[in-house]
Amino acid sequence: MIGLRTALYGIVIVALTLMSGCATIPPELDSPATAHLPRRVELSSTPFYPQQAYQCGPAALATVLQVAKVDATPEELTPEVFLPGRKGSLALELVAATRARDRLAYPLDPSPRALLEELAAGRPVLVMQNVALKIAPTWHFAVVIGYDLDERTVTLRSGTVERLVMSLRGFMRTWDLADRWAMVVLEPDELPSNPVLDKYLKAAAELEATGRLQAAARAYTRAHEHWPASPWPALGIANVAYAQGDRATAERGYRTALALDPGHVVANHNLAEVLLARGCVTEARAYAQRALDGAIGTPLEQTVRATADKIARTTQPDTCLERSP
Amino acid sequence: MKQFLQRSVVYVLIVSLLGLASPAVVQAEIIGTLAGLDAAQREANLAKINSVLAREQVRDQMRALGVDEAAVEARLAALTNAELERLAQEIESAPAGGVLEVIGIVFVVLLILEAVGVIDIFKKFP
Repeated sequence: MIGLRTALYGIVIVALTLMSGCATIPPELDSPATAHLPRRVELSSTPFYPQQAYQCGPAALATVLQVAKVDATPEELTPEVFLPGRKGSLALELVAATRARDRLAYPLDPSPRALLEELAAGRPVLVMQNVALKIAPTWHFAVVIGYDLDERTVTLRSGTVERLVMSLRGFMRTWDLADRWAMVVLEPDELPSNPVLDKYLKAAAELEATGRLQAAARAYTRAHEHWPASPWPALGIANVAYAQGDRATAERGYRTALALDPGHVVANHNLAEVLLARGCVTEARAYAQRALDGAIGTPLEQTVRATADKIARTTQPDTCLERSP
Repeated sequence: MKQFLQRSVVYVLIVSLLGLASPAVVQAEIIGTLAGLDAAQREANLAKINSVLAREQVRDQMRALGVDEAAVEARLAALTNAELERLAQEIESAPAGGVLEVIGIVFVVLLILEAVGVIDIFKKFP
């Protein structure tokens, strides 16, 4: 037994000596880049779930969900995110389980600065690490709960260690080897520290696509406030309303999106559908044609063409009474 | 009995073929926001075409990897088409965060020791 342990220790030492010096202090953390941040943060009220067996995924996810006001335990998350045959969890399923609880899984920019900014805003960050070697990876999920710029350390809830303090350099090495995967869990109407429209929209649209309609609507509404020039949040609000059977709200939403971008293919297309259902055949035809003009050569062409053909061929009389319901 | 079985098989086949055929018929309905975003970002929307197949594959793979039968459908339902597609390709190979296996534990211990200044291995490799 001692022989095995010694051998393993030897392997680790040899492996460490083979590593190249990839773990320098990231230039992003030079003083100008971090001047706006507190020197030291520790979110000490973050709960701690010591990991059972292979279940760092469920434990780390429960930790960040709790902070986002979801009462989830590692035990109840395990059947949802653990793959027994892989003895672990996939990042993608942690994201899915987050959505299934009506929370927004927001992927962070792969930069230490983004990580620190979230911590400074009071949000712990779920990270993936490779705690072994590039050629023989051991993947691990942990939650970063703090940093100290003067000491150059980060603090984590990790595995069975409630308060793991790592040198920033050591942490960066393990994080780099996991392609700096990181996410924060947001309430659906909460924005991250440096929200990026595309990423926020995608996360919201994934809520919509997996049937979490109310959460999606909250996220789109927040996005509409924050990025008033983008047609996508209004489109999202309209699509959720449509899925909920509220055609009037849907129609208003599509018109809002088109006011921001008259050529918006999806908004034109979906408005045409709603108008057709309301008996506004002539108007529907015009919007379908506009959608088709913009859709040619895009992945949506087939769908839009089918709708345009259907509306062109309809023998339904125009029973449109008023322009908007 | 045999005839009944044969008949059942035929019915099951008919129903499943209908199921397979339906995605090919372009649905007369709205375009979802996610599909719109994907198209806008020029990510070819292959996911839509293959999502039925991908779902089947991931279902089988999850069972084979020992996921509790009762949980499989809920896990599938929580995934977007693009994610199903990815998972069908990568479920066996994508990084699965799990253990602190022995080597990992040793490594973390070394990191702790390094952090508190007991040892100084890492700094020897600038």
